[in-house]
This record gives sequence, C-alpha cells and structure tokens, in this order.
Amino acid sequence: MRSIETKYFGTLLFGEESVFDFPQGLPAFEEEKGFVLIEPAEGAPLVFLQSMLRPGLCFAAFPVLGVDPGYQLGIAPEDLEELGLDVRRQPAHGSEVRVLALLSLDGGFRATANLMAPLVLDVKTRRGLQAIRRDSRYSHQHPITAPAGERTSEKAC
Amino acid sequence: MLVLRRRAGESVLIGDEIEVELLAVTQQGAKIGIRAPKETIVLRKELKITQEQNAQAASGPSLSVLEQAIQKPRP
Repeated sequence: MRSIETKYFGTLLFGEESVFDFPQGLPAFEEEKGFVLIEPAEGAPLVFLQSMLRPGLCFAAFPVLGVDPGYQLGIAPEDLEELGLDVRRQPAHGSEVRVLALLSLDGGFRATANLMAPLVLDVKTRRGLQAIRRDSRYSHQHPITAPAGERTSEKAC
Repeated sequence: MLVLRRRAGESVLIGDEIEVELLAVTQQGAKIGIRAPKETIVLRKELKITQEQNAQAASGPSLSVLEQAIQKPRP
C-alpha cells in the first residue's frame, strides 16, 4: 500500500489496483498522467479521481449509467485503439471498462455531469482517457438533480 | 451564421491568412483542411468545451456542497 495526500479525505492508503494511468492526461490537464480512483462508499455512485501529482486536484464523478441508465457508449475508434481495445465494437460496461462522467457545479449549486466526454477506464490495463464523443447525443452539462421535465431545456452542446 | 455550399477541392478564405478547404465528403463526414498562421489556435470545438468543462469540474467546491447539490433537487 502507498499513501497519498487527497483533496477531500486527508491522507489515504491505496493499492495499485486503484491507480489509473492517463498517458495523455485530460484536456486542460495534460500533465496529469495518473489518478487514484477513490470509492468512498461501496455501491454508491459517487467516486473520485485524485491526482497523483497535486493533492488539490480531485475530480468527482458518477458512472454514466448512474446519470442516465439508458446511456449508450459512443467511444471513437481512435480512442478504443489508444486503450488497446477492439475498435470494431463498443466495450462492455463493467467487465471491460468503467465509464465515468465528471461532475461540476455550474452557477453555484446545480450539479451537472459531462456525458459528452466521459472518462473511460480500462479495467484490465488500468489505463484511461477522456473519450470525447463525435456525436452530439449527450450534453457536457447534463443536470443530475433537476426533475425530468426540466431536462429538455437544459440540453446544450 | 454564414452558410456556403462548397464541393470537394473548393476553399473558403477567412480574412487574409486563413483558408479552409473542403477536401472530401464521405458518409462518415466531411474532411476539411485548414491553412492558418502558426499562432492561430485551431481546435475541435468539442475539445475546447471539454477543456473548459474539466476546468470547472476541477475547481471543485467542498465535499459537503457537492453532496448537497447532488442529493437535493434545486429550488
């Protein structure tokens, strides 16, 4: 076990199975090549990706299926290739990849999830990248608490 | 928004220094080529959106504010 300073949880011990390499970093955070996946509560959707470089950088995320149970993966072939996955089909949720939407608070207290560019984590190689969809099917600011009726007006892209 | 119809091989000029050429059109999409000065930043729009959204996600609030926003429907 190693230990890491975290933004939200003080000093945490973690095993190698929680470390994910992001060879290209994330857009706007290209220098961040490694994150520790923190799952505070077993079975709860809210997880965290703590930067291994900067204690002050930690992303909160939900599994895309926790945000939208009908979410259809749309990972571009180049991104599948980058992860070393079969480019002819979308990978299986859970057994092959975990797909996480980063959460933001926009304008203060409204939480949104980025379904347009989810993080795809290969569970075998523990490599990850942010897979920007080529279609405009999902919003980068999908509201996760607003009543269903309000959602249509929130769709942006 | 200015809308122009162009065929493969035809170009559009933006100002004096930027040329956008439609290279090919296929079922998968249109392939465009962009000629611009080195200092002009050319980005896929969705990449720019992702950068901005990531920056917002990173400027994370305290954990309690975040949890509140997730659990409570907004007023």
